[in-house]
Amino acid sequence: MSYSNAIHHRAGTIFPFIAAILALGLARIIDPYLAYVATSWVIFGLLGLSLDVVWGRGGFLSLAQTAFYGLGGYFGSVVAINLSAVTGHSLLWSLPAGALFGALIAGALGWIIFYARMGALQSTILSYTFTLLLWSVSQSFKLDAGSAVIGGDNGMSNIPGYIPGFGAGAEALEPAGALMFVVLVAALAYFATQRLMTGTFGKIIDSIRLDIEKTELLGYDVRRYQVLNFAWSGLLAGLAGALFGGWSNYLNPSIFSVQEALLVPIYVLVGGLGTLAGPFVGATLIGGLSFWLGGGAVGGQTTLILGVVLIGLVLFLKKGVLGGLGDLWRSRLPDPNEAARGAGAVSIDPDELADILSEAEAQAGPAKSLRAETLFKRFGGVIPVNEVSLAFIPGQPFSLIGPNGAGKSSFLKTCVGVYRPEGGRVLIGDRDVTRAPIFQRVRAGMGVKNQKPQVFGELSVRENLWVAAYSRVRHRQRANGIAARVLSMLGLEAQAEVRASVLSHGQQQWLDIGMVLCLAPRVVLLDEPAAGMTKEETRELSTLVRILARFTTVIVVEHDMEFVRTLEGQVTVLHQGRLFAQGDIDTLREDERVLDIYLGRREHV
Amino acid sequence: MDIDYLATVILSSLSSASILLIATIGLAVVFGLMGVINLAHGEFLMIGAYSALTATQMGVPFVLAIPIAVAVTMAIGALVEVLIIKRLYGRIFDTMLATWGISIVFYQLAVMIFGTVTPGIGMPQSNIQIGDYSLAGYPLLMIGVAALMGLFVYFLMTRTVYGMKARASIQQPEMAQAIGIESTRVNTLTFSIGCGLAGFAGAVLLPIVPATPSMGFSFVIKAFLTVVVAGPVTLTGSVLTAIGLGGGASITASFLTSVAGDIFFFLITAALLWLYPLGISAKWRRKL
Repeated sequence: MSYSNAIHHRAGTIFPFIAAILALGLARIIDPYLAYVATSWVIFGLLGLSLDVVWGRGGFLSLAQTAFYGLGGYFGSVVAINLSAVTGHSLLWSLPAGALFGALIAGALGWIIFYARMGALQSTILSYTFTLLLWSVSQSFKLDAGSAVIGGDNGMSNIPGYIPGFGAGAEALEPAGALMFVVLVAALAYFATQRLMTGTFGKIIDSIRLDIEKTELLGYDVRRYQVLNFAWSGLLAGLAGALFGGWSNYLNPSIFSVQEALLVPIYVLVGGLGTLAGPFVGATLIGGLSFWLGGGAVGGQTTLILGVVLIGLVLFLKKGVLGGLGDLWRSRLPDPNEAARGAGAVSIDPDELADILSEAEAQAGPAKSLRAETLFKRFGGVIPVNEVSLAFIPGQPFSLIGPNGAGKSSFLKTCVGVYRPEGGRVLIGDRDVTRAPIFQRVRAGMGVKNQKPQVFGELSVRENLWVAAYSRVRHRQRANGIAARVLSMLGLEAQAEVRASVLSHGQQQWLDIGMVLCLAPRVVLLDEPAAGMTKEETRELSTLVRILARFTTVIVVEHDMEFVRTLEGQVTVLHQGRLFAQGDIDTLREDERVLDIYLGRREHV
Repeated sequence: MDIDYLATVILSSLSSASILLIATIGLAVVFGLMGVINLAHGEFLMIGAYSALTATQMGVPFVLAIPIAVAVTMAIGALVEVLIIKRLYGRIFDTMLATWGISIVFYQLAVMIFGTVTPGIGMPQSNIQIGDYSLAGYPLLMIGVAALMGLFVYFLMTRTVYGMKARASIQQPEMAQAIGIESTRVNTLTFSIGCGLAGFAGAVLLPIVPATPSMGFSFVIKAFLTVVVAGPVTLTGSVLTAIGLGGGASITASFLTSVAGDIFFFLITAALLWLYPLGISAKWRRKL
């Protein structure tokens, strides 16, 4: 790896570290007033970071970050006012209190949003109205909490500054000291967040952003991760709020105002969405500009300019400063996706596959059956699954066929848990999973490959497999081992570091199948796996399915009759939502009734 | 509780719900036909209010000031669509952020041009007597206005060529283009109509809600929540939601405070979204 490559790889650690050191050094030199103002930029950067975590990484545009910020500020300050009168020390009280309160509120709001499985739009609007609501409530909210007085419109004053010492004589930090302190806190928060986001948790959050359905199909409880991520962002916002309270010594409802909320996505977009360090760059740039231009022609019209800036950013500069620089740098590095170009067709290694499968069997137990008992699903007047009872048992591959609209996919989706049936039961082994969410069915041993290839495009091939393997074993090293073996079975080792999105359609299908294998499923459901595959690839697939069927229960939904024939297994025909015929393919091919429905002849249509 | 009081509460709640519906319907049209939430909706309402106010100050009778307000907001809406929204099709969050920027720009422009305090216009004086209670006539009139607006949008969508094209474009965008519907044109018109409806709302509500630069914000909380609770079947959904939530909030507010009404509204919305994460009409079979 070249020098430039190595630095690029660690850019998220190196440059913020240098910037923090620089800021600490500069704090002593610069004018105290500038130090005082610059402190607020760092605080705003921290607030921006909280949005970047949930929007840039989590994929949910939250407009409630200033709500957590304000609530953290108020709560932390109330605690600080009361306790610092006793102990002298303010920071020990205000910062944890603010951060925890922010996390708590964000967790509660996130719980409502994510556990209800609200649409993206609904979530954003709910978060926005949460901020607007706090704004209108805080105008008239009056409360005496100990010696802290929250005076509605009049705000809350007498918030202690940053007092690091104990006792009655303890003094607040001078501007330079305050800036250094805030830089330290922000750096700690940044590095903690960066660690979180480059680690396992961050990989799963990335996966959720890229394809939430697939992440759940890998057995992750996605809603829990989303709530945790949102709570972490609330913690950062609350921490920033508590810092802000100590910095300004005064808080009022304008902290919840739309003007304030508007700034947060601007910081993130200026710096670069999803870069984590970007919001600090954005906040410093915007803060610096309004500081040095503040007295000039634009003074007083900051809001107007910021509105225009936001529109401009959205229209023309989506990647921001750091995103743009990163792209420029990457274009000068050797292209990691180069390997994808030379790759030929996938050819699997049958022995390696059998090894992987028998090892999986040793770890995850014997194959499980999948049973549907009088399963019933309706959409208004359409009944795609009409009291279907089927048992898929280990031993041979099962194929589910039927003409268009026969209810194959609906039956599959009801088994997987995408649809909730109105009647009947679904069992994996002996376990009734009729009401279980998707991820629990996966943990019970179900593996699903949907018709379209579902891979995490921005992650590398190896990472894709790793995320799948980690879901089962919950151990980083062991997940590495499993990913490496599946990689070599697929013959994709040369493309291990390539982004999954640059793979060809066929390769993505194989990668997707590889991810399912990483789960060591006991029942495998494949929805039209041969769709869009070449002749050779279909042949490979048939080999794979037959080997797979020796170790697990396999159910294939397929249109391609030739492919179904090569599987040499049991075939079930569905028609108009009902079970129509069962048998091996040659018997069914002779069956006049089956030919009728396929050819649309009158008798049984 | 005597019957007169009950009638008063019900009538005033119904008029509050109607006011909410009037303020929401433009937003609902844009959301329903373009899939976009216009965060600047409240500011278009404000522009409508100021246009009507300026017109009346120049001597135009109030009834004629309303169409002027509609024309102004429609023009500005069309301009915004062509200059900004059009470039962001398919990027729903970016559209939201851009309209948010527009909202703040309009707000600040209004502060610059009109200042923060402006004189209201007198409410047309007429009272209705129910037993010992007296209700102002103009807010009650809004029940009729809301009904007319609902009917207008219904006929616009079902009986005009534009309406059919617009509904076709949102339901089957590719098919609509394939049969020669120019969806970008339709969208410009839709956005413009949505803004015009907001302008109408701002103007017609002027005697009740005086024009201030920040008046938009006070409406939008409920308007946004109404639209997202309503879900994809925007017209029927919004009417139901506005009556249910708006009426409920108004009753809460009349017993407690208006802030309590807002909180009630938010909590009920959260509860409804819990039950219907994509809006109450997500599984309806009707489309309007």
